[in-house]
Amino acid sequence: MSASPAARQAVSQGIPMSRRININHESELPNDLSSTPGGSLFSTTPGGTRVYYDRNFMLSMRNSPLARTPPTNLPSIPGVTVPDNRPAKPDSRKSRDSDEDAKRLSAIDATAAAPAKDEDEQFQIEL
Amino acid sequence: MEEEEEEKIMPLRPDLQGPLEIPPNEHRLQYVWNLWYSNRSTKRNYDQNLRQICRFGTVEGFWRCYQWLKRPSYLSLQSIYHLFKEGIKPMWEFPSNINGGTWKLWVRKGVIDRCWENLLLAVVGEQFDVGDEICGIVVCVRNQEDTLSIWNKTASDQRLVEGIRKKLVEVLQLPSNTLMEYKSHTQAMKETFPGHKTFPQKHL
Repeated sequence: MSASPAARQAVSQGIPMSRRININHESELPNDLSSTPGGSLFSTTPGGTRVYYDRNFMLSMRNSPLARTPPTNLPSIPGVTVPDNRPAKPDSRKSRDSDEDAKRLSAIDATAAAPAKDEDEQFQIEL
Repeated sequence: MEEEEEEKIMPLRPDLQGPLEIPPNEHRLQYVWNLWYSNRSTKRNYDQNLRQICRFGTVEGFWRCYQWLKRPSYLSLQSIYHLFKEGIKPMWEFPSNINGGTWKLWVRKGVIDRCWENLLLAVVGEQFDVGDEICGIVVCVRNQEDTLSIWNKTASDQRLVEGIRKKLVEVLQLPSNTLMEYKSHTQAMKETFPGHKTFPQKHL
């Protein structure tokens, strides 16, 4: 009747549960986080803290100054990167020399800005 | 005219190798991620076609990269974005992927940008909550319906694979009749290259 030792062991080894925490500011990060050479975080307790960010938090960071800064080493790939990836403030793009670039930028901006206006907004799915 | 062999090696960016510096005033992510781009319409091999575009390990770094890239619906046909964890190349035969598999789902054109963004946010924000299992995610721009994929390490763990499916449905707010398919990379390779019995070992 009793389960074999192997079976009991299998039952007791589910996916380790980890604690879910919402981090709203860097200062809330636990002190015992360390980094590996690859840059990932681990905690001092096995199966312990992992860094979670929910969708609302991620979206709330979208327009922070650090997030709006153009990346320093993004290659320019026609058709993939935004046409002009030189440093530019979003509100100064309207005065671009090239109308074409401005149009494309504003089209992309519209896509990028939409979710920030209403973080909970979801797209509609036609059934 | 015969096609010239342009690039022999996968263009890894020297400036995107080695440890990534995490600015102290930014919000560190659980993992460091690399974004790759490829386009299947060229005749080059898959690995020669991959381009490493950017790398990030913070929430701010994610947005810095993402906001300067075109959304999937603005890309040309056969374009692919691959977002993978640091140290994992978006290739079936790569060690972290070799026993893995992929959930693939077909998404209507009108919603691909929002679906891709939601998937990005969930994966980068560690919402799947399956330990180290997630390898990466892929969006492929196609003629009819675009596809989204999520790669995990262990194709044989059915409970885990089902958990990923449930989370995908939740994150993407998919209708219940959305076409989804799970396939191990081994199976996918057999179907793509019927003659091959093992993964090719080059480029690892």
